[in-house]
Amino acid sequence: MTNLAGAGPVPRQLEERPRRFVPGQPDMWVFVLFETLLFTGYFSVYLVSRTQNRELYLQSQSHLDLRIGVFNTIALLLSSWAIARCVQAAREGAYRSALTNAFLTISFGIVFLTSKVLEWIKQIHLGNTFTSNDFFQHYFFMTSIHCIHVLIGFLVLGVLVYQLWSPARRSQQLVETCATYWHTVDFLWVLIFALLYVVR
Amino acid sequence: MSPSTTKPAVSMTMPQPPSGSAMNRFLWNFRHHPKRELWFAWWVMVIFYSLYGVLFFLVSRVQPPPSPAWSTPMVVHWFDARHYGILAGFGVVFLISGMCAPMNALLAYSMRRMSVSRIFGYSYLIMYSLSAIPGMLVMAIAMTVGALRPDRDPEQIHWLYDFAFLSFSGTMGVFMIGSLVWLVAILIDKNGVFPKWFGYLSLCNALTEVVVAPAWIFQRGVLAWNGAIAWWINMVVFVTYTCAFIVLLRKMIEREDFVTGPLPDLPRKRVGERSDSVGAAS
Repeated sequence: MTNLAGAGPVPRQLEERPRRFVPGQPDMWVFVLFETLLFTGYFSVYLVSRTQNRELYLQSQSHLDLRIGVFNTIALLLSSWAIARCVQAAREGAYRSALTNAFLTISFGIVFLTSKVLEWIKQIHLGNTFTSNDFFQHYFFMTSIHCIHVLIGFLVLGVLVYQLWSPARRSQQLVETCATYWHTVDFLWVLIFALLYVVR
Repeated sequence: MSPSTTKPAVSMTMPQPPSGSAMNRFLWNFRHHPKRELWFAWWVMVIFYSLYGVLFFLVSRVQPPPSPAWSTPMVVHWFDARHYGILAGFGVVFLISGMCAPMNALLAYSMRRMSVSRIFGYSYLIMYSLSAIPGMLVMAIAMTVGALRPDRDPEQIHWLYDFAFLSFSGTMGVFMIGSLVWLVAILIDKNGVFPKWFGYLSLCNALTEVVVAPAWIFQRGVLAWNGAIAWWINMVVFVTYTCAFIVLLRKMIEREDFVTGPLPDLPRKRVGERSDSVGAAS
């Protein structure tokens, strides 16, 4: 998010470059660590529950459409690709291109979110709701908590666009921090996709 | 952005406590230390959270929470087995509930020390003052009523059991918004009162507060009020978060210079050098 403390006359793309070990704020990588640990906990609980009722989980998983999961994954991977291009463009000082890629990232994120909501509606029409069984409890929980991360990601991308918009701002560190958050959202989805849709 | 970010030319010089016994140093700090109110609030916080854990987990034994799916006779038996523990534990909880005031004041003070609008500190203060009601008092009152009226209709005892645990576990909205207020304040602060990673940890904490909402729906499974996700994982995050902000508040007090602008970093300690804190002096 915004580190407005950095607003000064020095060109942002050059700030603190020699001392940096990771892209963006190191603090954001601490967040990545927290979130990874948290979701590792959720995944472990899911896997333990799955071993206790394997038949139910397999039967329930068959209601999920793998093609939708693949589509979701491609949408988010494309969004990660776009944000990576945005960071690269910002590093090169090509801010128009960086903005275009930031908007592309938001667009792919919206595609992901829309397809996820449509999938939920489809499952509810099939009679598979949050309270149907243990598998769908996990399915709705993990996909919902991930979608909350996506919604927060839109705020983060809004900060990124705000930064890129004006030559008075354009903190490269902040651009990379926002990109790190979005990659985390993508990374978590790949794991959720593998667990819910692929592992049978 | 209320306080200015410019420092006055003269900064505060810390008076040194007299040499002598630990008691003499403590008494001197108690009467003269310029940060005595801050240290008082910090120690209240440490004592409060320590007591909170002991009273809820060991004395009253209402945590970790029992199953929401229990039958009425099991719930009545559960109350019987904890009769004296609940009375003793929550009796002390009622006594210490006033400790929330200096704790919340210290948290709001940390936000006032930031370069952000006063709105953040005031919002946080009001929200966390209210949070003592669902986070502690409603449960304590419901449990105490259940323990003091064992002759009542068992269905009413069961209702109190549900009411106590749902109010305790299921009303996390105030904590979520509080964490988000702190998150935004930390991220836009220019004075470096807290590290940014703690802001991001606040986001993690806020997200785990969302996770307990399904406790209203489920009586079994990982999202019930005693579930692996809704309680156990959340408790790990909450304890980590609480320990982090207690340590960071201590560092903030040590760094406090009572002027506006960025908080200075602590000087590096040499081996054997005494800390400039009431905590260390006492």
